[in-house]
Amino acid sequence: MAEKIRADNLTFYYGNTPAIKKVSLSVKENTVLALIGPSGCGKSTFLRCVNRMNDIIPNTRMEGNLLIDGESVYGARYNVTGLRRRVGMVFQKSNPFPKSIFENIAYGLRINGIRDRYEIESTVEKSLKSTALWDEVKDRLAESAIGLSGGQQQRLCIARTIAVQPEVILMDEPASALDPISTQKIEELIQDLKKNYTIIIVTHNMQQAARVSDETAFFYLGDLIEVNSTEKMFTRPEMEMTENYITGKFG
Amino acid sequence: MTTHLEQELEHIKSKMFEMADLAIESIVTSVQALKNSDTKLAEEVLRDDSLLDNLEVEIDNECIRILVMRQPAAVHLRFVLSMLKINTDLERIGDLSSNIANETIGLNGRPPLKPLVDIPRMAEIAVGMIRDVFTAFTERDAGLARAVIARDRDIDTLNMQVYRELFTYMAENARSISQALGLIMVSKALERIGDHVTNIAERAIYYIEGIDIRHAEE
Repeated sequence: MAEKIRADNLTFYYGNTPAIKKVSLSVKENTVLALIGPSGCGKSTFLRCVNRMNDIIPNTRMEGNLLIDGESVYGARYNVTGLRRRVGMVFQKSNPFPKSIFENIAYGLRINGIRDRYEIESTVEKSLKSTALWDEVKDRLAESAIGLSGGQQQRLCIARTIAVQPEVILMDEPASALDPISTQKIEELIQDLKKNYTIIIVTHNMQQAARVSDETAFFYLGDLIEVNSTEKMFTRPEMEMTENYITGKFG
Repeated sequence: MTTHLEQELEHIKSKMFEMADLAIESIVTSVQALKNSDTKLAEEVLRDDSLLDNLEVEIDNECIRILVMRQPAAVHLRFVLSMLKINTDLERIGDLSSNIANETIGLNGRPPLKPLVDIPRMAEIAVGMIRDVFTAFTERDAGLARAVIARDRDIDTLNMQVYRELFTYMAENARSISQALGLIMVSKALERIGDHVTNIAERAIYYIEGIDIRHAEE
C-alpha cells in the first residue's frame, strides 16, 4: 500500500510550548490510524496539523513537515482551501447545518461548483447510502437535520464530508458523545469507509482504537511513544510505557 | 446486516470446517492404511498432519486478533472461545491418526495380527461423531451435540472389546505380543479421538447455550 500521509519531525508550538515534539510517522493509503494517549498528549494537535486547522489559532508555529502524497502541505504556495477539500474532518460533536437533511449534503457540492440537479441528487443519495443513513431518512430529506438523533446527525456529518470526495478523513472523537448502538454504527462505517479513504481517528477509548484501526499511535506529553500495527500494539507493544498505558496503569 | 465481526467469525468457521474435514480424512486414511498394510498411505497421513498444525496456528492467531480488535461479546465471545479450544482438539485428533499411521509403518507391509473388525467400526463411529458435532455447531443444535457425547460410550465399549480379544491373543501366543500391543495402541488412539470429539461437543453446547457441561454429566 502506498504511503498517503507522512509527518517528518513535526513539532507544533502554542506560544513557546511544544504540544507535539518531533513526531515522525506515516499513514498508508486506505488504512485507519488511531491516535491514543491521555488528555493533552497532543493527539488532536497532530490531527489538526494534517489539514492545517491549527493555522487559525493565533501565536502558534510549526517545525518539520507534513506531506500528503509526497507533497508538503505547508509549502509556501500550497492551496489550503484545496487541502481542506482533500482532507475532510468530523468532530466530536455533530455539527449539521441548520438546514434540511438534503441541503446539508448538497451545500458542499454547490460551493464546489456543482450545479446539475441530477448529479446533486444522486450524490446526496450515494453519500447517505454509504453512511447507512439512507433508509432512515429517505422519506424526510426536506426535514431539518436538527431533528435527527445524535448518532444520525454524526453519520450525516460523515455523509456531508464524503459527498465532496475527499481522500483523507480526520475524525476527532467522532463517537464519544454517542450511545453504544450509534457508536457501533460509526465504527462499522469507519471499516467500510477505509476501502475508499485514508482515515485518522483520535479516540479516548482504547478499545475503540483496537476495534477500528489498522495502526495505532500512542502519544504521551507531546511525544510519539510508539506507532505500530494495532494488533501488535494491543498484544505485545514494544514500549513499556505503551504497555502501562493500555493496561490502565496510568493516564 | 452482517457486521464486520460476523464476517470474520464466518471466516474462522470455514477454516475450522476445513480442519474438521482434514481430521476426518486422517482417521479414515490411517485406519484404511492399517487394514491394507499400506505403508505409503500411512506416510500420507504423517505428511498431511502439518496441514492441521498450520490451520491450528492460523485459527489461534485469527481468534486472538478478533479478541483484541473486535472485543466480541455474548454469543460472539462464546464462539471465539469455543473455536480456540476445538482447534486444539482437532489438532490432537490429527496427532492420534499419525500414531495409528506410525503403527502401520512399523508393520512394514506385514498384515495385521488379525482381520480388523472393531477398529474400523470405532473409526466409523468417531467420523460420524465429528460430522454430527459440526452439524450441531452450524445449526446450533445442542440436542445433537448431546447425542454425540452419548455415542462416545459405543467407542469405549468397542475399545474394551478389542482389549479383551487381544489379551486372549497374547495369552495364547507370546509371539503375538508385539503386534497385539500395537493394535491396543491403535484402539486406544481411537478411544482418545472419541474423547476429543466429546470435548468438541461440550464446546459446541457452551457456544449454543452458554453453559459449561464439562464434568457435570459424567
